[in-house]
Amino acid sequence: MKKIFTSVLLVLVMVISVVAAGCSSKESSSQKDSKETSPAKESVKVGMVTDSGTIDDKSFNQGTWEGILKYKNEKKTIEEKYLQPSGEQHTDYVNAVNDLVDSGYKIIVTPGFKFETAINEAASNHKDTTFILIDGMTHKGDFKFVKHDNVVSVFFKENESAFLAGVAAALSTNTGKLGFIGGMEIPPVQRFGWGYQAGVKYANEKFGTKAEIVDYLYQGSFNDTAAGQTLAAGMYNKGVDIIFHAAGSVGIGVFNEAKQRAEKGQKVYVIGVDVDQFETGKISSGKSVTLTSAMKRIDVAAYDYIDAKLKGKFPGGEIITLSLAENGVGLPENNPNLSEDTIKKIAEVKKEILEKKITVPSTKEELAAFKK
Amino acid sequence: MRKWILFFTSERNQKIIVPFLAVMLGFLVGALVMLFSGYNPVEAYLALLKGAGLLGNIKRFGDTLLSMTTLTLTGLSVAFAFRTGLFNIGAAGQMLMGGFVAVYVGVTLSLPWVVHMLLAVFAAVLTGALWAFLPGLLKAKFKIHEVVTTIMMNWIAYWSVYYLVPTYIPGHFNTESIPIKPTATLRVEWLTQLFHGSYVNIGLFFALAAVVIIWWVMEKTVFGYELKAVGFNGQAAKYAGMKVSRNIILSMMIAGGLAGLAGAVFYLGYTDNIKIGVLPSQGFDGIAVALLGLNNPFGVALAAFLFGFMNAGKLFMQSATAVPNELVPIINAIIIFFAAIYLMIKIWLQKIGKRFSEGGGDE
Repeated sequence: MKKIFTSVLLVLVMVISVVAAGCSSKESSSQKDSKETSPAKESVKVGMVTDSGTIDDKSFNQGTWEGILKYKNEKKTIEEKYLQPSGEQHTDYVNAVNDLVDSGYKIIVTPGFKFETAINEAASNHKDTTFILIDGMTHKGDFKFVKHDNVVSVFFKENESAFLAGVAAALSTNTGKLGFIGGMEIPPVQRFGWGYQAGVKYANEKFGTKAEIVDYLYQGSFNDTAAGQTLAAGMYNKGVDIIFHAAGSVGIGVFNEAKQRAEKGQKVYVIGVDVDQFETGKISSGKSVTLTSAMKRIDVAAYDYIDAKLKGKFPGGEIITLSLAENGVGLPENNPNLSEDTIKKIAEVKKEILEKKITVPSTKEELAAFKK
Repeated sequence: MRKWILFFTSERNQKIIVPFLAVMLGFLVGALVMLFSGYNPVEAYLALLKGAGLLGNIKRFGDTLLSMTTLTLTGLSVAFAFRTGLFNIGAAGQMLMGGFVAVYVGVTLSLPWVVHMLLAVFAAVLTGALWAFLPGLLKAKFKIHEVVTTIMMNWIAYWSVYYLVPTYIPGHFNTESIPIKPTATLRVEWLTQLFHGSYVNIGLFFALAAVVIIWWVMEKTVFGYELKAVGFNGQAAKYAGMKVSRNIILSMMIAGGLAGLAGAVFYLGYTDNIKIGVLPSQGFDGIAVALLGLNNPFGVALAAFLFGFMNAGKLFMQSATAVPNELVPIINAIIIFFAAIYLMIKIWLQKIGKRFSEGGGDE
């Protein structure tokens, strides 16, 4: 009996000590804070709200975040934080932005078209805050652009980098069978798909390859890794040897499947998306299953516009489209899995796009015309 | 001191004290976790309170109520099923289907405000009930466990909406529907103004009304008594002349209807369209809400308020302090854990109580 009573007493003592420790640690942490902040007292708070998926999705969110981190590490003038909203609705996004603004964040970076209406609302509520909206433009829900002087809207020509990836795939395939796995059927992902189709078609004509996209589908989410792996397994079983994924974390499943097969000696490849995914595709032998990556320099966009804001050159109210010409999209500089010849041919094609000898289709209609 | 302990340990007060203790212990253990990982719990909890508007920000308090609205209804759905001996894991699917039909009605029909809105809400309730009918039927007629069937129905709902939205009410993107007409919305100007721009809406009153009605049905009517009796002991209920199969199906349908109403308040109030590829997490949070509310309708409302408050405040806690966002789900989980070991806490309290009423151990 006494035992139990003493144990209750013990717990009470512990509780009291916790509370006491909590109070004392408050003092010490505030001291620590003041110490830390005093040298870089001008640091600007830069916040980010994530799109669906997590910060380490190896593509969209991560790209944005890396751009912010790079800026921080180089210039040391900003302080960064990201929030993952509790849902993917307009209200969730608006509330997450509010939380950042109320905590003193001055620049807010948001990746993805899902933020369009939320940033539109937040931008008019918080005129002193600067917003960098990647892959979207501000509107009220009717898709008519609403100009806010504190927002820059950034788009990419995904189709151009996917075009080059398509050429690379057509030139590299052994079986002649290619695959495509998209996440959700949204404009940026569609543009990746269209550019890829056009690139394969172009290579077949120009370089005499006989590649065909035998599987072309959308998984329906950006986070179902297991489904990505299942889809990839089905494609590889069919004889497809290169899969281009534009599917966020679903693509991680594609990589997992390719890596398992590569470990067993099978020659299968994945084309990465958004960022250089060479590291993601590495297997135990040190080789990678990443043929190349259709990059979209989200990190560059985040970096550049934070820089522009801090230097007072922020292009507020503008819609900017980044393409091959601005180095906003493209393939990585190093592609260890591509042959010399392929790299040379891709450079040729890239030159032709830059010289506007090729117009890469950016809509379904343009693609149909291109395929004729 | 002794009186105080006796109050805490008496059988009568335990319905209130055990959940309260669970919450306190949850926050306490959460504080310990923060302390051990080098964060300041006092600062964090203050930020949580501030973020949820409990320190005076009216808009943020509105967001807490907004988050509470949906959780009250899904919690009520699960709690009602529990009380009648059924485990409704399908609240998410019932909510999604109800929400889809509500949005469909909200998009396609043209009617004046109150009529349109009520029709959309009613359609959602009906759809939720129908979505739960099948699991109820399978349980009543073939003894197929509702846990299995309701989980499956969740995925059928998920993929149905995935197909139906782009096919029948496509928005600008294939991944979402067009917004509902303003005549179908649950948001009203005076509430939005009262709460300084928060989207809190009349769904809140629907939820509170549902709490009272469900309580009344369960506690004050013969019908409610029969439903509970079937859940408590089906054989005995049958022996007493009750229609067991009918009651199981009805219980499931009422639970489904409540989840459908949750869908209406979420998709017509919290948002104004429906997105594909998302199974609403509120459906599953409802299980935790019901558990913490001890399956009592009023308890559910209180538990939903707590969860709503944590939902509304957690991001602010993360952005204003260094505490990682993941901590809120940890605290949530700890609270649920303590609520789940309800019986253990009860036995502890009884033991302590006995000791003190016997007059020993007071040195």
